[in-house]
Amino acid sequence: MDQFAQQLPIVVNALNVGFLQTLRLFFVTLLGAIPLGLVITLGSMTKVGPLRWLSKGLVWIIRGTPLMIQLLIIYYFPGLVFGSNIWGSGESGRFLAASIAFIINYACYFSEIYRGGIQAIPVGQEEAGLVLGMTRGQIFFRIKLLQMVKKIVPPMSNEIITLVKDTSLSRIIALQEIIWAGQSFMKGSQGISGQIWPLFFTGIYYLVANGLLTLGLGKLEKKLDYFR
Amino acid sequence: MKKLVALVMALMMVFSMSFGLAEESDLAYISNKGVLVVGITDFAPMDYKDADGNWIGFDADMAVAFAAVLGLDVEFVEIDWDNKILELNGKTVDCIWNGMTLTDEVKAAMETGKPYMNNAQIVVVKADVADNYQTVESLADLTFAVEAGSAGEAVATELGLKVTPVTAQADALMEVAAGTSDAAIIDSLMAAAMVGEGTGYANLTYTVGLNSEEYGVGFRKGSDMAEAFNLFLDAAIESGVIDEVAAEYGVQAALIK
Repeated sequence: MDQFAQQLPIVVNALNVGFLQTLRLFFVTLLGAIPLGLVITLGSMTKVGPLRWLSKGLVWIIRGTPLMIQLLIIYYFPGLVFGSNIWGSGESGRFLAASIAFIINYACYFSEIYRGGIQAIPVGQEEAGLVLGMTRGQIFFRIKLLQMVKKIVPPMSNEIITLVKDTSLSRIIALQEIIWAGQSFMKGSQGISGQIWPLFFTGIYYLVANGLLTLGLGKLEKKLDYFR
Repeated sequence: MKKLVALVMALMMVFSMSFGLAEESDLAYISNKGVLVVGITDFAPMDYKDADGNWIGFDADMAVAFAAVLGLDVEFVEIDWDNKILELNGKTVDCIWNGMTLTDEVKAAMETGKPYMNNAQIVVVKADVADNYQTVESLADLTFAVEAGSAGEAVATELGLKVTPVTAQADALMEVAAGTSDAAIIDSLMAAAMVGEGTGYANLTYTVGLNSEEYGVGFRKGSDMAEAFNLFLDAAIESGVIDEVAAEYGVQAALIK
């Protein structure tokens, strides 16, 4: 017990640093993937053939392969194939590569959720807009977008909660997020070795973060309840 | 996982051959950068962090000395040990300097310098049953956890033992502690530091040493850095610098000269 009391502050400190990295990756991914997803949605719904096939092809590839492989490819491919490592050395390059992999991956999932939300809007509303003389752009931004936002909150909440946990995959390119920090005490780090509990302890961080997110997203859903 | 990585690497090799690699010598490439990026894991007493968060250890100190000879700065980067060849070939690190056992796989995939230290693979079991497993013959009906791709896995396969590959030596110890495997095979240097009285695995102990092996530094395949390292190593042995560093971390008995 004594030993545990001694180790706890060191472990918590290391896990905090790791979790900060986890959160950074989480927020950067959301910031990038939410707008990029909309671009891909528009691409896969457009009437322009090549653009549509490009978007659908991207979604197929990204959803059809494991995120872990995408991380490995994005981080190691430039150096292996073209002989120059574009990410630079050190932690910041790994973070950048992980961010890009996550943004592309999540944008593809988001885009399909957006598409579902848009297509759930009765076609009569678009016709009404056309009768009123609105352009297609006006119809999209003034009629459809806000209704879509309301419809997609539950499925988006699902993805966002999954994202918190998926960030742990970035340890495959040695990004030092919280799972990495927890595992380091198994091998030995900062004078603590052979300790398994820090790895399991990381679960509490995820649980608390997702608890807060669930509350926040639930509030958002309620707030958007003022129209059907 | 291992197979997926192997597949990706095979694909990458095909690609890199078709694109053709840069002609510049590796030493020139690193000199131009001015920084030697050293791939490591947190592995006392070879590479580990001091209280201020600086990387120290026998390997870390030697790497700093090597870079100083070449007039380079050093940057230590923690990597996933499974991906060390990917990291090297992807140029995200310039060398692997982390108590790396010179297995046939490592020698085939990297340009390695001369071995500088001896190590052994050793069997770790629960202390209360250790008396039953003091010989190689007695190991036959145990199940073993070993680090995938490690020297421990190689020796277990050679002996025809039942093995479960895990991602790290520390995971292998966890398997034994949790009872999900009967025994683990890990580096003796690591076993000495991590199991037994006063460690996190007080109920484990080590018994049979299975083979002896050597540690070396790995560079990219075909790199002229390995030659530079060999010259440095000879000089460090000649001048006694290597003994001083080894004494500091208590590993002088294992040095190869």
